[in-house]
Amino acid sequence: MKRLAEQNFYERLGVGFDASSFDINSAYKENHQLYHEDSLVTYSLFSRGERGEILTGLEEAYSTLIDEEKRSRYDQSLVECGVLKEKPAPRDDRKRFRLITSNSKTSPRNTVLTMRDELKAMAPSNTVIQEILTHEVLCGKDLKRIREELGVSLETVAEMTKIRIIFLRAIEDDEFEKAPSGMFLKSFLKAYAQSLGLDADFVASRYLKRMND
Amino acid sequence: MAHIWPIGGGKGGTGKSFVTGNMGVLLARQRFKTLLIDADLGAANLHTIVGMPYPDISLSDFINKRVPTLSETVLETPVPNLFLISGARNRLDIANLAYEQKTKMLRAISRLDYHYILLDLSSGASFNTIDFFTLSDSGIFVCCPELTSIENFYGLIRSVYLRKIRQVLKVHHFRKLAEKAEERNPDAVINRPEYLLDILKEIDSEKGCMIEKILQGFQFKLVLNQVRKQDNPETGTLICRIVEKHLGLKIQFIGNVAFDERVHDELRKKRPFVDKYPYCRAAMDLKALSKGIAGTTPMEIPPFTQPEIANTLSGSLL
Repeated sequence: MKRLAEQNFYERLGVGFDASSFDINSAYKENHQLYHEDSLVTYSLFSRGERGEILTGLEEAYSTLIDEEKRSRYDQSLVECGVLKEKPAPRDDRKRFRLITSNSKTSPRNTVLTMRDELKAMAPSNTVIQEILTHEVLCGKDLKRIREELGVSLETVAEMTKIRIIFLRAIEDDEFEKAPSGMFLKSFLKAYAQSLGLDADFVASRYLKRMND
Repeated sequence: MAHIWPIGGGKGGTGKSFVTGNMGVLLARQRFKTLLIDADLGAANLHTIVGMPYPDISLSDFINKRVPTLSETVLETPVPNLFLISGARNRLDIANLAYEQKTKMLRAISRLDYHYILLDLSSGASFNTIDFFTLSDSGIFVCCPELTSIENFYGLIRSVYLRKIRQVLKVHHFRKLAEKAEERNPDAVINRPEYLLDILKEIDSEKGCMIEKILQGFQFKLVLNQVRKQDNPETGTLICRIVEKHLGLKIQFIGNVAFDERVHDELRKKRPFVDKYPYCRAAMDLKALSKGIAGTTPMEIPPFTQPEIANTLSGSLL
């Protein structure tokens, strides 16, 4: 255990010498919450004076480390008193964020998107689907046939649309008493059509037309 | 060798006896031979929590030498594998034990043949409570996420700290240290024992390092009890981090136990809470705790004993 006065700024905040500005920011926030007057965790552990000392110490550390120029000067002084062998290089946050974005290609949302694009390309070349889409009205069976032509399982549709499978089944089986009513049905139909790469408004209106008749 | 865990926590009403009793029941159900000792002399009630009638024999019979060995005061509870030494039936002055009596008691306790021994201590930071922590170098603190409870917890842990330094140093060494400390920081002796260690290290670095090592050897654990939904679940972890950083004591947070309205009703019915509501949130938390304790102190799970198998067989046949 080191006394506060003996701690260097990095130790006060509890971060490494190579901490990025992002790390310093969140460490300061965390520590401030721990030591401020209304904190449950450190209640009664410190006298008023001690608490004030800790908080000013934190403030001092933060204001130095968050400023690139001041930090560089401070690092230099640490090297001079022998705490560090050489000046540390702070990590660059931007690199980390780039990493996150480059990884996101495999995220589930993107697989849904690419799948939808593939399906969209398949539909126009499939004669069965094109034939069904010329119908004045569409029934559940038609939707099911389109889906099966595209080789997509109902589970996949449920996963993509986040709609419960019993509702999707009710739509395909034309069981209107089980399906949701009104605008919910319309939005479900749209989501269903979209997930198969079809024109959402077109499919929904053709399906609902039959119900209105 | 049994694992001995004193359970205390500073403020009254945080649920020390509740946690002790129910954890004992859960450890016993994991087939560990478990002993509960009600060391809350003067305010004993652990027998009520495990659902037993007012006991005929208790710890004070051993302390007053009415029975020769501690094992004669052990009572069987309705839960298989769970045993109890009650603290009831005391003479009124028993709440204040002499230090020698406590060491003798702890020696006798450590000789008992159990897997786990849980000691339910009284609230407050009296020597009765503190000495059980310092003597066994381990302990579980039960605390609530409330200002009053946390204040008392810090008070208790500092008392333990100070008492240990005092025990390790000889009387005149301690007096010398106290005088030196008083000069530098009048708070140090009264309520900031962590400063004492720094000063001691300066005066006598060898002794200072020795005490620091001893203090770091403590195996303390913290449980937060009666945690409501709106409470920050990280509070316990943060408390442990702060204690380690500012007091230099190692303390491990082992879990939250959810607040449950039904505990109040169940205590009136005199039966273990975890038996009545085994799947409610609080019971699941307690289960995780008992598993955690059994996990940190590795021990083989004993096989089913013969009579137990016979019981379950005849039970299923009937």
